[in-house]
Amino acid sequence: MWRAALLAITATAVQAAPVTFNTALPVAEGEFINRELLVLMRSGNDPSGLGRDMDTNVLVSVLGYGVNEKLALFGTLPYIDKELELRMNGMPVRRSNDDFGDLTLFGRYTFFQQDAPGRTFRIAGFAGTKAPTSDDDKSDKLGRLPPPLQVGTGAWDGFGGVVATWQTLDYELDGQIAYRNNGEGSDFEGKTFEAGDEWRLDGSLQYRLWPASLTRPDIPGFLYGVLEVNLVYKDRNKLQGQDDANSGGATLFLAPGLQYVTRRWIAEAVVQLPVTQNLHGTALENDYVVQAGFRWNF
Amino acid sequence: MKLRTMKLGPVIFLLLLWSGSSWADGRHYQLEVDGLACPFCAYGIEKQLSKLEGVERLEVDISKGQVLIRMTDGASLNKTDAEQAVKKAGFTLRTFAPVVKEQNSDGGP
Repeated sequence: MWRAALLAITATAVQAAPVTFNTALPVAEGEFINRELLVLMRSGNDPSGLGRDMDTNVLVSVLGYGVNEKLALFGTLPYIDKELELRMNGMPVRRSNDDFGDLTLFGRYTFFQQDAPGRTFRIAGFAGTKAPTSDDDKSDKLGRLPPPLQVGTGAWDGFGGVVATWQTLDYELDGQIAYRNNGEGSDFEGKTFEAGDEWRLDGSLQYRLWPASLTRPDIPGFLYGVLEVNLVYKDRNKLQGQDDANSGGATLFLAPGLQYVTRRWIAEAVVQLPVTQNLHGTALENDYVVQAGFRWNF
Repeated sequence: MKLRTMKLGPVIFLLLLWSGSSWADGRHYQLEVDGLACPFCAYGIEKQLSKLEGVERLEVDISKGQVLIRMTDGASLNKTDAEQAVKKAGFTLRTFAPVVKEQNSDGGP
């Protein structure tokens, strides 16, 4: 399930927008936007009986650039810190890994736009690739780390989707559908590993809490209450072409949060809570995911 | 004395004329922009319009979807350039109009 979260991270919005997925709002021609997002994932509900407890902390750096008013390009690079605790033969075991993850590049094109006073409706398509730029074969004293503990996948992955945004001065609605095709990575214990492909459906409501009315021309910023929904389905992983029965499944997250938006920067935070998880076999379940960070334009 | 006053007269007249004409310099324009609904998006409009030659100062009022522009002395702005700048920011220009403003003591719009 950490890969599903990374899908959100690698196709992440940089404008005033949802926290956990993309938006169709514009990046002006020649404008840069930088986003720094801290993602804390906790997974400790282990049906396997091994007492697995996994913490994943990621600092995602995103840089967006407006080629023109319709086309924007983005690059993301995560720094990933993973730690897994479990019991093997009754003994506690701890395995960890931290380093930069794989680089992701993608583009977003707005193909429908309808503007009116104080509101806009847009639809954009996006597509990109994750390149195998990071290590996927690190080891510790116990040997080669399993794929979920590697920071890189060793594979080229492709993804794409469509996002729609309806924004007024009082609130914003965003909706997205996305798909990720994960490529075949490097060997693990003599078998090639391929992470399961992913589908996701996302929705977001941002409602302006402050100021209550827009009577002043010199308002410093807007404070939004945010409520996002993420439905993520992941296929089973494959080892040497064979399905791993204890991987994949569907999770529905509800993510409440806050976002403060000014002309030059944004500060935001949400907590993704799994409302329901229907995972295959003994796949490790999510406890929660915290996402917090800021964005600025220049 | 009378000759000196006569020579100074035209100079004084020209000085008065120049000081009076500076109230009319620094033309102002009001733009109404569609699609603008959050502060972060306003920066793109500011950036694009500021690149236009002669733009000295501008103010964006998000609640009204308006941009007020003050030009440098002697400069003017045409609708085509303003429309193109707003388009590059990702929005739509709805109206463009010159504004007759009284100049404040601080020189602001």
